[in-house]
Amino acid sequence: MATNPMHQFEVHRIGPSLSINGIDVSFTNSSLFMLISSILIITFFMIGTRKVNIIPNKIQLINEIVFNFISKMISETAGPKAKPYFPFILTIFLFILTLNMIGLLPYAFTVTSQIIITFFLAVVIFIGVTVVGFAKNGIGFLKIFAPSGVPIFLFPIIVAIEIISFLSRPVSLSVRLFANMLAGHTMLKVFGGFVVSLGIIGGWLPLSFSVALTALEILVAFLQAYVFAVLSCIYLNDALNMHH
Amino acid sequence: MSEFDDLKKKIELTKNKYSSNLPKNNPNIIGLAFRIGTELVAAVFVATFIGYYLDKWLGTKPIFIIILFMVGVAAGIFNVVRSAKMINKG
Repeated sequence: MATNPMHQFEVHRIGPSLSINGIDVSFTNSSLFMLISSILIITFFMIGTRKVNIIPNKIQLINEIVFNFISKMISETAGPKAKPYFPFILTIFLFILTLNMIGLLPYAFTVTSQIIITFFLAVVIFIGVTVVGFAKNGIGFLKIFAPSGVPIFLFPIIVAIEIISFLSRPVSLSVRLFANMLAGHTMLKVFGGFVVSLGIIGGWLPLSFSVALTALEILVAFLQAYVFAVLSCIYLNDALNMHH
Repeated sequence: MSEFDDLKKKIELTKNKYSSNLPKNNPNIIGLAFRIGTELVAAVFVATFIGYYLDKWLGTKPIFIIILFMVGVAAGIFNVVRSAKMINKG
């Protein structure tokens, strides 16, 4: 059972079984790791901002780097109008980044390898951006589906294409994160299994692959969190700065 | 304020030391490159899904699924071109 590479993605209940109106709301290993990562983020920032110095200590320095990094990214991709959404984007980025990174530890559960989690996050962003778009531009937000300068006979096709590409946003956002995490972790586990089955003589080659893959996975974990945040900003940019 | 002046000097020195061999690749560009694959598939998937349920609802079996599949492919390619343009700009 332990050698099955998909075993690590199984969600199981921790503690008693709870249900409200027939919906299972028990505490699972998935909830446990979400809780752990939230607590980690909060404590990390609490320690970093407890005593603020002009010359920062190491934790404060890391906090400031993260803060500036996201702040710069938002102003570059979505402009100054997106400043009020900074806390939301920062939270999304840190949450996904921490979940991805924790998932790389042995025996840890990768919450972002569950499609329902990533899809829910993406749908929240999708609905949020649509609401913001309608709130800021009124009915004029519908112009996002009708770019200017299109010949009249192409108009219905372009509108259909734009609507489909708008609706595909949450799917591409969630599938990208989920697929990258799932594939990476399965691959790590498969190479780990090779090390065991080839033993001390032949196991060195897959072991070295495993080491290299772990480094790659760290990059992917960071990059996927970053891509998720950047795309949220790009979608926000479409909603806030309409210039069709 | 000598503490700050010391630090300023140190920062300058370190910057000069490392500025020549800092990696030039912007995470923005790698991030955009990662988008493209799923962008193409997601549009086709969503469009076909809508087409399937429209057909089921209206009882016009293969018509909408075929039309929306084609629209989905077009939208996917459109998305890819748009992301590629963004990479060239950024």
